[in-house]
Amino acid sequence: MSLKRINKELSDLGRDPPSSCSAGPVGDDLYHWQASIMGPPDSPYAGGVFFLSIHFPTDYPFKPPKISFQTKIYHPNINSNGNICLDILKDQWSPALTISKVLLSICSLLTDANPDDPLVPEIAHIYKTDRAKYEATAKEWTKKFAI
Amino acid sequence: MSETIKVTINLSPSSTIAEVKEQLAGETEIPADRQRLIYSGKVLKDAETVAAYKIQNGHTIHLVKGAAKSGSAGPESTGASSGQPGANSDTSIPQNIAAGQGAFNPLAGLTGARYAGLNVPMPSMESLGFGADGMQLPDESQMEQMMENPMFQESMRAMLSDPQMLDFLIQQSPQLSAMGPAAREMLQSEYFRNMLTNPQMMRSMMQMQRGMGGPSAPAFPAPGGASTEAGNSASATNTGGSGSGSGSGSTTGSAAAANPFAALLGANMGAGLGGLGALGGFPGLAAPADNRPPEEVFEVQLRQLNDMGFFDFDSNVRALRRSGGSVEGAIEALLNGNI
Repeated sequence: MSLKRINKELSDLGRDPPSSCSAGPVGDDLYHWQASIMGPPDSPYAGGVFFLSIHFPTDYPFKPPKISFQTKIYHPNINSNGNICLDILKDQWSPALTISKVLLSICSLLTDANPDDPLVPEIAHIYKTDRAKYEATAKEWTKKFAI
Repeated sequence: MSETIKVTINLSPSSTIAEVKEQLAGETEIPADRQRLIYSGKVLKDAETVAAYKIQNGHTIHLVKGAAKSGSAGPESTGASSGQPGANSDTSIPQNIAAGQGAFNPLAGLTGARYAGLNVPMPSMESLGFGADGMQLPDESQMEQMMENPMFQESMRAMLSDPQMLDFLIQQSPQLSAMGPAAREMLQSEYFRNMLTNPQMMRSMMQMQRGMGGPSAPAFPAPGGASTEAGNSASATNTGGSGSGSGSGSTTGSAAAANPFAALLGANMGAGLGGLGALGGFPGLAAPADNRPPEEVFEVQLRQLNDMGFFDFDSNVRALRRSGGSVEGAIEALLNGNI
């Protein structure tokens, strides 16, 4: 059952992908995907391409997919292991969500970080107190790891 | 510093990614060595072929302008579409997350950010009567409150003046589509619109309905429902003219005949006939009997359930019936396994 749903999402993504994201299976295993997100132009991540890995649980879409960044990124809600702090990947998951929508949500997380619910408190602190420094560091990391 | 453009190119399965980049360089003026092509989440390597990545006709490849090996210009991203000869791929970008998979949902715009933060009951799929088979309709006082809300009126008006929305409404109801252009005319007419957005009008109709339907009809549908359902009743009046209509159709037919408004409107004839049904249809709406087959009544919900991976038609229908057309309730019942 989950396979059917994953297949449907795959064909939808192929036909009508979001403008800034792309995703597909790594190999023949449909439960393991990779995705890429282009850094939003109005963010310090502009120009970077960030890779993510997606693991679908067998009871997808009733459980959220596990998504993590493979590319290092300087962001208050993403830690050095690539874990993402995003409500819809945890308690706010709904079976009506799709990979495409989740990736778009991650895109908007890149544009608008959520420093009040940080995964990396140090970055969140800089984000709140010295925005220019945050942007400069984020840009530098993007250049170093994502371009 | 950044722009997004879209180009359509024709690829042969045997060409290498390096060749594709050359082709794109001509189209986009981005030198091949600065292009990064991404398909299905993967960066495409120069030495591989189009076939190796199973790039399909009409699919989109993303092109990102990378840092030049010597250069300094700011990066920009570009979307490139691939298409084999004859196929003009036209990928559209969803405008908001709600639009997600590109499925047309005219209600998304109405319930969108425009109204965010305002605690206003918005017409949803359910309240419009597309889904619920008459069980979840708001009661009279709620209804009245909703009608008096200027936001609601505005959204109703916006909805009826949107030709796309009208198409959707007409498409939703087989009876409406059977009426052909008359249905459009009716829904678009100033009169019908005023009727739906005028609280007084609605109230007087409610009173009328009370008078005729008596206590057996406590529920009253949202006005949006009226446009769809009224259409149904309208054709019931048309076809059931001989008095052979069945179920809610026949109730409607006779109610329409007894309806003073009907006589008033009947004079208009033509599209007026639709309007007649629309008015006469109100008492019929409250009738709990719905003789349409379940795949029609629950069309939207069944599709959603299918999308979520519930494929057993019979238990889906049973679950939906029990939950009164609510998809969430149905899922819960299905997951609990007591359906």
